[in-house]
Amino acid sequence: MEAPKFERGTSLSIFVSDRREDFTALIFAFIIAFGVMFTV
Amino acid sequence: MIYTVKSPALLIIGILMLVWGGLNNSGVVDGMQSSLQASAYKDYQKVKEKFDAESRVATEMAAAENKPAPEMKMPKSKFDEAKAKQATLSNIFGGAFVLIGLFTLAWKPKQGNLDYLVSVVPGIAYILLIAYIVRWGLDPIFGNWGKAVKGAGILTWDFAKIFNLNYVVLGIVIGMVIVNVFKIPAWAANGVRTARFFLKTGVILLGTLYSAAELAQLGGLSVVMIGIFVLGSVGVVLFMGKRMGTPNSMTAVLSAGMGVCGVSATVAASPVVQAKAEEIAYTIGTILIWGVGCMFLFPTIGHILNMGPVQFGAWAGTGILNSAQVAGAALAFDPTNIETLKVAEIFNITRVLFLPIIVLWLAAWYVKHEEGAVKVNLAHVVIAKFPVFVLGFIAMFALSSAGTFAPAGHYQGKYFSSAEVKEDKLLKGKEARAIEGELTRLREAEGAQALSKYLVDKNVVLEGHKVTPEEVYQSLGDLAANKKMMTRQQNNVLKSVAKMEGLDALVAGSIDKAGKAATHDSKTIKAYRDWIAWLFAFGLIGLGMQITGKALKQAGGAPLVIGGIVGTAKAVGSLIVVLMFVKEFI
Repeated sequence: MEAPKFERGTSLSIFVSDRREDFTALIFAFIIAFGVMFTV
Repeated sequence: MIYTVKSPALLIIGILMLVWGGLNNSGVVDGMQSSLQASAYKDYQKVKEKFDAESRVATEMAAAENKPAPEMKMPKSKFDEAKAKQATLSNIFGGAFVLIGLFTLAWKPKQGNLDYLVSVVPGIAYILLIAYIVRWGLDPIFGNWGKAVKGAGILTWDFAKIFNLNYVVLGIVIGMVIVNVFKIPAWAANGVRTARFFLKTGVILLGTLYSAAELAQLGGLSVVMIGIFVLGSVGVVLFMGKRMGTPNSMTAVLSAGMGVCGVSATVAASPVVQAKAEEIAYTIGTILIWGVGCMFLFPTIGHILNMGPVQFGAWAGTGILNSAQVAGAALAFDPTNIETLKVAEIFNITRVLFLPIIVLWLAAWYVKHEEGAVKVNLAHVVIAKFPVFVLGFIAMFALSSAGTFAPAGHYQGKYFSSAEVKEDKLLKGKEARAIEGELTRLREAEGAQALSKYLVDKNVVLEGHKVTPEEVYQSLGDLAANKKMMTRQQNNVLKSVAKMEGLDALVAGSIDKAGKAATHDSKTIKAYRDWIAWLFAFGLIGLGMQITGKALKQAGGAPLVIGGIVGTAKAVGSLIVVLMFVKEFI
């Protein structure tokens, strides 16, 4: 049985709600933001 | 289910990237890079010329004093930095892809998180390889070609700029060609689907680039424009749908898509109006046809009409139906600067914030017009469908406006600092004397009258007040005395006066020179812009790979007619409003 948590759909609608993806993007964006702040 | 596809493709892409990194580091491709990075190469020539002259003088002085020639190191030019950047990015990702590629070939995948994570890497590498080719190869080739054709007098306009043949458009087109002509390889399919994740990360990170004042101005404008056009489009579609006799659920779902943010709004509104699968497909097809067409057409019209970042961003953010295409059009219009994307995304996010209102409106409309409509839990739908990452953007902006990421005044990528003006960038005595002479002339009756008339005619306004001749005298006097710009306000006052007819050319040139010497690049903001440009480039290439002929062919029937009429009215109407009422302010 396929695990639905891995089904990401398409990027045709970037504002579609996908909580797991949203929170991962949030964490990734904060890592970049603080990474740049401390290294540049 | 096992997602990982065993293939040497990832290993090969990694090796190709490492080779490119090595070639750049060793200088083997300097000849090719000098024509691709033409403007950076000019900087290299200037730096080298200056360095050669300095080392010659130093050698001669040392020889005169019977000392050995000093060892000098040539400073890095923009060309060296560009090559180093390509080498670093290629080596980091190439190295990682080689390691993961070897692991994939040796590993026996088992169902679970690790299998999924490993399965997305080849697709990410595939898009990244295309992004490298487009950004470092095709973009400069077309850019140089457009300039050369214009320079040779074959065309009076830059075709590459007008048709937006930059990395964004080329990336999307290549993506569309791959998916529709060659098909996406099985080993890359899962990774291509991560494009949306990178677009979302890009939108959140964009929050680092706004100042509070800028966002307040843009936010006010966007609420007014989006309010009028979103609510207007929804209302018109509902009206036309009733007139044309389309089913209520079809009309409602189309109105959400045409009004708010395209496919996402269609999906969000579908449960409250009990839309059928084919109605959702019709709507998505219509929105996609319209969105893709606008993504290519809007930037060209923007260049022909000579629009600025605020005007174009406002127009794209209002007139283009689908969110991803708004980002594509904004970056296609202005691929090197993020200003247009910043404006367009504020409009995009304002649209998304309208989503709950539209869902509630459609629910009420549907219950009123549809007999036997089943009531759904609205609060549940709104909460479940609201994209949380928009709140991430707001959180990032809150941190950014508190000065967490860069000091205030850095947000446009440049900042003013009188203290950091280098000694060799100070005005020369001759220039200071010319400014003093012009100051005396402007204080005399005829000069004073001309200055007052210029300030009134041109309506020179700074920070909400009209600039007076006394402010100009004060600023010119300070500039001559200090030989550099002392404040940002002084710079702004004199920049507007420098365009005055009859002003001494040396003085106008000195004002420009002093202004540039006191304006510095913000390294932090530059780094954020780079990251955002890469994230969007990646996301948009992936987006191109998902625009299939099959999805576009779904459009048809009454939704296409209604969508065409409302889409055209929205695009043309918002263009007129923008050209008439929106002024550049960033």
